[in-house]
Amino acid sequence: MSVERYVTVSNLRKVYRTGAETVEAVSSVSFTVPRGQFVAILGPSGCGKSTLLMMVGGLETVTSGSIEIGGTPMTGPRTSIGVMFQDPTLLPWKSALDNVLFPIRVLKRPLGEYRARARALLEMVGLQDFAAKKPQQLSGGMRQRVAICRALVYDPELLLMDEPFSALDAITRDEMNEALLDIWQRYTKTALFVTHSIREAVLLADRVLVMTRRPATVVEDLEIPFARPRDMSIGDTPAFNEICSHLRAKIERGNGLGRRIGAAPETSVAISVRKAS
Amino acid sequence: MTVGDAAVGAPARSAASGTRGLDLARFRPIALPIATAAAALVVWELVVVLLRIPTVLLPGPGDVARELVRDLPVLLRHAVPTGLESLASFALASALGVALALAITYSPLLRDMLYPNLVVFQLIPKIALAPLFVIWLGITSESRLAYATFISFFPVVISAMTGLANTERDAIRLCRSLTASPWQTFLLVRFPFALPYVFSGMKIAVTMAFIGVIVGEFISAKAGLGFYILDAGSRMETAGIFAAIFVLCVIGLALFGAVAGAERLVRRWYRGY
Repeated sequence: MSVERYVTVSNLRKVYRTGAETVEAVSSVSFTVPRGQFVAILGPSGCGKSTLLMMVGGLETVTSGSIEIGGTPMTGPRTSIGVMFQDPTLLPWKSALDNVLFPIRVLKRPLGEYRARARALLEMVGLQDFAAKKPQQLSGGMRQRVAICRALVYDPELLLMDEPFSALDAITRDEMNEALLDIWQRYTKTALFVTHSIREAVLLADRVLVMTRRPATVVEDLEIPFARPRDMSIGDTPAFNEICSHLRAKIERGNGLGRRIGAAPETSVAISVRKAS
Repeated sequence: MTVGDAAVGAPARSAASGTRGLDLARFRPIALPIATAAAALVVWELVVVLLRIPTVLLPGPGDVARELVRDLPVLLRHAVPTGLESLASFALASALGVALALAITYSPLLRDMLYPNLVVFQLIPKIALAPLFVIWLGITSESRLAYATFISFFPVVISAMTGLANTERDAIRLCRSLTASPWQTFLLVRFPFALPYVFSGMKIAVTMAFIGVIVGEFISAKAGLGFYILDAGSRMETAGIFAAIFVLCVIGLALFGAVAGAERLVRRWYRGY
């Protein structure tokens, strides 16, 4: 791993208090991310991975521990960070182009200068003919593409993505993964990508962190060896499936489900690997 | 066999009558209520004529129409203050309602202080308060404006509060991630999100403001359609009362139509088509 640490998370903890009860959403998570790396945070739903991401983005308070980005400790949201949510959260009354330009408006940068960039981004995701359309006139996948453009338009150094494709159907999701691979080829940024899809994590990321519930912590830190540029076809290779089954085993062990339920999928993966080789 | 034939035949038949059915369906929302109203007027006229009901008790639509035409200049003169006061009190109620909703949404202290009291106030039959406004503000136009505003602002508060509370949580998070100021978040995101909700409250407020002005005119005015109705009533000019009610209907339709039209524009702005 590179020596340069762009993101440093150390002993991060988050405890929610609801009345008399306390829930530990994240317990003592530590990792570093070098500049330009795409890191997937993989785990079952409810394991606190989104909370972790929002803390990194300065959108959630930290109970204890620290986050440093670019050498300075996080104290609140920063404009060097772009965030993508599970829903596209487009403003329904704004056209696709104006939604992409929304951060520019908020940041009071000159709109005229960024309009060309916004159009170029829309073109890159294949929406050049939809720039004037409102969100209601776009499909779910198109809306999430607009959201990607919006996160990129002001050129943040770090992109935080909170299960951005989990609300989409399987086919659209594959398309979005392909689009994201393509985008990463052109604009390499540091990224944290939260997902509960093992295949999505392996396909997109340079490195996968596996998080589990109880305790909500990182149980595996795995480099993904596939070279870039990648395309969807790596998903058919035996190496890809082997990595996936390894990660699946880690998740199941972390959840204490490995003994019974975990047995079945692991065998089926083993068969598919044999068939492929 | 017969069942099968019917099933096959049915789509073909509906396809043949498709064009005619479509036109009827398009005009139905306008044509049907007008036809119903016209039929009711005919029945009314027939009842009045056949049962020889005295005009003082119940004039027929024909008598009302004649009275309307005869006294139209006077009616229109009285319609001006009624219409303007309704419009002004509606505007005041909308502004006051949105302002209160903002205060309640943004300040937990003000919410706890104001909201329960606002609700309790709404439980008072507001017509009972009308004489107080006469005592405080006299029989001036301000008195009626204050009263009409007072009885019509509450629906705007409720709907604007709902709208402001229903802004997508992630949209507000997005603003925070962009280090937007609270004012920017309000102006660029929360208020536009709340706007369609505000309109549903404003549609109720406009009818209530109109009622408030008429009640005010009953109690305290020297002009306006409410005054005209009371005056006509005291002289047993029943046709005059109906003529004034007809003018009220037209004004009410215009006021409500303007708000509903504005709402449609906002919704179209939302959807983009």
